[in-house]
Amino acid sequence: MLDFLTKIFRREESSKSLAKERLRLVLMSDRVALAPDTFNLMKGEMLSVLQRYLDIDEHGMDVHFENAERRFTLYANIPITNIKSSEEIQQERQRIAVGGNGVHSSHGTPRRRRRRRRRTAPETNGGTTPQSSEPYAQASNGTAPEPADPDEPSTTL
Amino acid sequence: MSNDVREQAAEQLALQAPPQDAPVPETDMAVARPAPEAKPKQRPHARERKAVSGRAIVVTSGKGGVGKTTVTANLGAALADAGKRVVVVDADVGLRNLDVVMGLENRVRMHSLDVIEENCTLDEALVRDRVRKSLMLLPAAQNRDKDEIEPEDMQDLINELQEKFDIVLIDCPAGIEQGFRNAVVGAQEAIIVTTPEVSAVRDADRVAGLLPNDMPARLIINRLRPNLVRKGTMMSVDDVLEILRLDLVGVIPDDKEVIVATNRGNTVVDISGSPTGAALRRIASRLLGEQVPIPDMTEQQAWFSRVLSGLRFTRSSAAKG
Amino acid sequence: MRGNVYVVTSGKGGVGKTTTTANLGVALARLGKQVALVDADIGLRNLDLVLGLEKRIVYDVVDLAEGRCQPRQALIKDKRLPGLFLMPAAQTKDKESVTEAQMAQVVHTLGADFDAVLIDCPAGIEHGFRNAVAGADEAIVVTMPEVSAIRDADRIIGMLGTRRVRIVVNRVRPEMVKSGDMLSVDDVAEILGREILGVVPDDEEVIDTTNRGQPVALDGTRRLASIYTTMARRLLGEDIPALELQEDGLWNRIRRMVGQR
Repeated sequence: MLDFLTKIFRREESSKSLAKERLRLVLMSDRVALAPDTFNLMKGEMLSVLQRYLDIDEHGMDVHFENAERRFTLYANIPITNIKSSEEIQQERQRIAVGGNGVHSSHGTPRRRRRRRRRTAPETNGGTTPQSSEPYAQASNGTAPEPADPDEPSTTL
Repeated sequence: MSNDVREQAAEQLALQAPPQDAPVPETDMAVARPAPEAKPKQRPHARERKAVSGRAIVVTSGKGGVGKTTVTANLGAALADAGKRVVVVDADVGLRNLDVVMGLENRVRMHSLDVIEENCTLDEALVRDRVRKSLMLLPAAQNRDKDEIEPEDMQDLINELQEKFDIVLIDCPAGIEQGFRNAVVGAQEAIIVTTPEVSAVRDADRVAGLLPNDMPARLIINRLRPNLVRKGTMMSVDDVLEILRLDLVGVIPDDKEVIVATNRGNTVVDISGSPTGAALRRIASRLLGEQVPIPDMTEQQAWFSRVLSGLRFTRSSAAKG
Repeated sequence: MRGNVYVVTSGKGGVGKTTTTANLGVALARLGKQVALVDADIGLRNLDLVLGLEKRIVYDVVDLAEGRCQPRQALIKDKRLPGLFLMPAAQTKDKESVTEAQMAQVVHTLGADFDAVLIDCPAGIEHGFRNAVAGADEAIVVTMPEVSAIRDADRIIGMLGTRRVRIVVNRVRPEMVKSGDMLSVDDVAEILGREILGVVPDDEEVIDTTNRGQPVALDGTRRLASIYTTMARRLLGEDIPALELQEDGLWNRIRRMVGQR
């Protein structure tokens, strides 16, 4: 019934308004298809945010766009294996607040857990160490090196 | 006037000379004419090119038939009238039409592939416009394929043209295949031509997404029909801009005079009183940096038709009286 | 093979290939035939938009060619007519992602199940064109009475081999033909030297119907619809000589103009 009414409504619309609306929807679809890398980046970031609060089965998830009657919709079917406790959520939020933004790499692989290393002595030659002495200062996309070991010669980053 | 005629005659004779009698190509090295199989690159490579002064602009669209070739030819003419040295390059190998639109089809001897394959020099392939001395055409081959040209070849060619001309306009073929890629590779700026119809706008959006991110792209809305816009059948300029979100460099009204001009090989900018010609001239000015406002054609038309009907009424009542 | 595979091509862009494919397909379906329309313009698809089926695309020609789906999955059944189906082009891939052999295979498979297959060809003469032509038995060349269009049509005819070629003269403006500002249909026939399938006048309604995704041939009361129906019948083998066309006063006017020359 709604479909029938919508069609009647459409006949009354000037055809260019209809054209514009159809075009707008079709272009969203075209643009998304044209930039799969951007889409993957978006998926990765979405995932990072969700993983602050939930454990997710990444292999079972399905995120895609659908072009329906008058709407362009993002569908996300994401199986959850666990809901994090408030302590875990708190830790995640603290880590992000301190330095990293917790964003996944574009491939969507999970960030390697940073091993905690307590510094036993302050940096001796200072030249190449990061500015902040916070242990998690380098917490962004998992590519930062481990903190300097005072017994080893330090290398330039 | 007679000097021009003699100059033209001399040109014609020079162009009609068969290739083997052509003067020695201007290269840095003295080389023997290469054997047909081997094609050593003596033309200056992109890497070795000198600093270029001219602007290279590709005129593209995605959708065919929206007016790229007509726009290229007419912008070339308008820019030449503004005092610039202009070359228009037909990149539609196999389906060339820039020569016909400019009325130069009988003067075409060599083409861009000839230059690339070193059958002739660039100067030998360039065709001077009949009317404007500072406007030249580099024709495309008609019996060859687009994939016979490598992107690097086009890039070198355009660079060489940029050394000789203020503005290089590249008429891009329809589509997004090798021909399109070749046409774009040598350019630093793009003009995307669309009409206010759904397929054209969709394809324009596609093309905009395929151009290099750092290439400035501006939009021309061609074949606007103000009466259809008012009726609600055709999208307005604002409608199109809302969807495409590109910088607008001009709006050209639809005009059947364009078909007539093409039939004759004339440029529309030469038809006095043509709103299409006027619009093209305004676009040329904007390309040269002038701040020329884009008139609202929907409004203008309505006013004009009211004035016209007023006049008709006056004439008929005068006739009766 | 049950039905013929026709490629609708032109060389020149913007002369009306997609509009012709859509409307001819509709006209054939209205005559009770099973018709498959194939959009071969990978990357710049528009047949879906003209038919108003753009929101129903799930699989496309490339999915089928690469074996990701069955033919019936890639075919969209038009809800307005029982026999009309669309196989959409892919919008992401470039045309090199399908080979001529793959396209030929796809359309031959369709040809076995349908009374007619119409392939909407992209503009130009590059890879996309070669793909579209690959599986076609016959060609419909769409052109306009305009210098560039006819030049390109002529060129394209030369690339169609021994296939039967029929011409659609599109977007004719009778008043301009009369004033000598536009080539006549006879001029076009003479220059291109092939049989004429039909003559379609320029009509603002086409913009409107494309906006709505409702091809004009759907509405039997419109004059353009009867023109497309006549073309469809000719395509199916009926001998409808041009001289006896009475469906449209416009056509008679064109004939008189031609007689005046």
